[in-house]
Amino acid sequence: MNRWLSDHRWAIADALKRVRERPIQFLVLVGLLSILLAIPGWLAQIWLGMSSLVPEEAVHSEAIVFLSNEIEFEERIELERMLGESPIVEHVIFIPKSKALADLSSSDGLAPLTQLADDNPLPDALQLRFVFSPDSGVSELSLVERIEFDPRVLSLRYYPSTRIQYGSMLEVLAFFGAGFSMLTILGVLMTVFLVSAADVVDDSKRIKLYTLLGASSRYIQRPYLYRATFLGIFAGFQACLAVIGLNALLSEVVINNLEELDSRLGSIPLDTRILLGIVMVSVASSWIGAERAMNQRLKGLH
Amino acid sequence: MIDFEYVSKFYEGDREALFEVNFRLAPGEMAFLTGHSGAGKSTLLRLLLGLETASSGAVRVAGTNLADLSGEKLARYRRRVGVVFQDPNLEEDLTVFDNVALPLRISGFSESDIPRRVMAALSRVDLSEQALVSPKLLSGGQQQRVGIARAIVHRPALLIADEPTGNLDPELSARVMRMFTQFQQLGVTILVATHERAVVESLPFRRLVIERGRLISDGLGSKR
Repeated sequence: MNRWLSDHRWAIADALKRVRERPIQFLVLVGLLSILLAIPGWLAQIWLGMSSLVPEEAVHSEAIVFLSNEIEFEERIELERMLGESPIVEHVIFIPKSKALADLSSSDGLAPLTQLADDNPLPDALQLRFVFSPDSGVSELSLVERIEFDPRVLSLRYYPSTRIQYGSMLEVLAFFGAGFSMLTILGVLMTVFLVSAADVVDDSKRIKLYTLLGASSRYIQRPYLYRATFLGIFAGFQACLAVIGLNALLSEVVINNLEELDSRLGSIPLDTRILLGIVMVSVASSWIGAERAMNQRLKGLH
Repeated sequence: MIDFEYVSKFYEGDREALFEVNFRLAPGEMAFLTGHSGAGKSTLLRLLLGLETASSGAVRVAGTNLADLSGEKLARYRRRVGVVFQDPNLEEDLTVFDNVALPLRISGFSESDIPRRVMAALSRVDLSEQALVSPKLLSGGQQQRVGIARAIVHRPALLIADEPTGNLDPELSARVMRMFTQFQQLGVTILVATHERAVVESLPFRRLVIERGRLISDGLGSKR
């Protein structure tokens, strides 16, 4: 235990010495990494903010299911019953083709169409109104898809609610945001990797000496890994400060306008999970970048 | 202590660095390894330090085949060996004391034990007074003595020196060699690689002469 403590104390002192020896390099790296980390952090903050703003009072989704002309009465009743039992369907209304034709005539002022009543070209239809039920485990889209392929159904028109449209937009944003975040994390990793690899080249004489004196690879790597950890911690905290600052700036600029749209938009809450995530990702990616570089370069050196 | 059993070393393109080198160094024995530049001395030392492995044959130290060691075991073996370089290779941002203490810290000696050992090693090379100065402030000869103190501070059973007097004037070279002789009298096995004929001929120790990778002579020298 004493050996372990003394080795780590020595490594930390050595890492701090390295930081003191090249303060400008360290600060520039902290700045660069914090920018790389603040971007996905800020995107995540905006995304989470948007997710919490899903309109509660949004218009519900609807679907018009046009029934096949050959459908029997019992079959239609069975279909109505099946749809009505779904936890996400609020109600099912049968619209006979005669009513559809009459409605069409009156709404469009096409009175002569009523003359077609005996030869009505429109199909019978079911009007579905969906209800938002995230805990039901059934999605509107999957139900719509199932109905579309039902042999009793001629065709279907689906009108998703603003909630669904907003949700789809958030999904797309999350997909691109995640991709972009991966790229920036890769950028952090590569930056630390390259810096650590350059350190090994700079310190090759010292590393060779330590190797000959019997230092294990772990012993040699430790100061570099600690320095990368310090780098990750500082960059992570600076990125957090940047996210907090950007959030405050955005709040000041747009908050008044947003508040008029929705009272819940009076403040943009900062998600602490994001801040914690930034620091953790920063430390982990810095450590991994340095560890990979050290392993690769030390092998080459030996 | 050291057993080279028909050791050959080939590099890429079948370039021959050593060919069937065969000798044994008993515990407490001191020997010179001589030969021109490029004769194979450095390769032999690299094999002895476990920095490379033999293409054929075996290098054994205290009965252990170095080819069987890797990772932590190899590091542990190196901790039992003292190495003196032509360039003392001191860390300029550390004091003389911390430079000499390096092998002890790497080997995990307790911090309370380190000052006593370091000062003992420094007094052996007459540098106790310089313990807290930077190596930058020392002369070339003093720096080499710090390097020697660092090599013996953990009391190694085997001391390997690679051209230890290469950068020193004859007087300092003689002083360094006297130190090695003292260590040998204390039971340390010592192998000194040098191409300086004057140094070799001034002491009555065994000489291993290597030429184009082959051991061409192995015998005792006589003091002039």
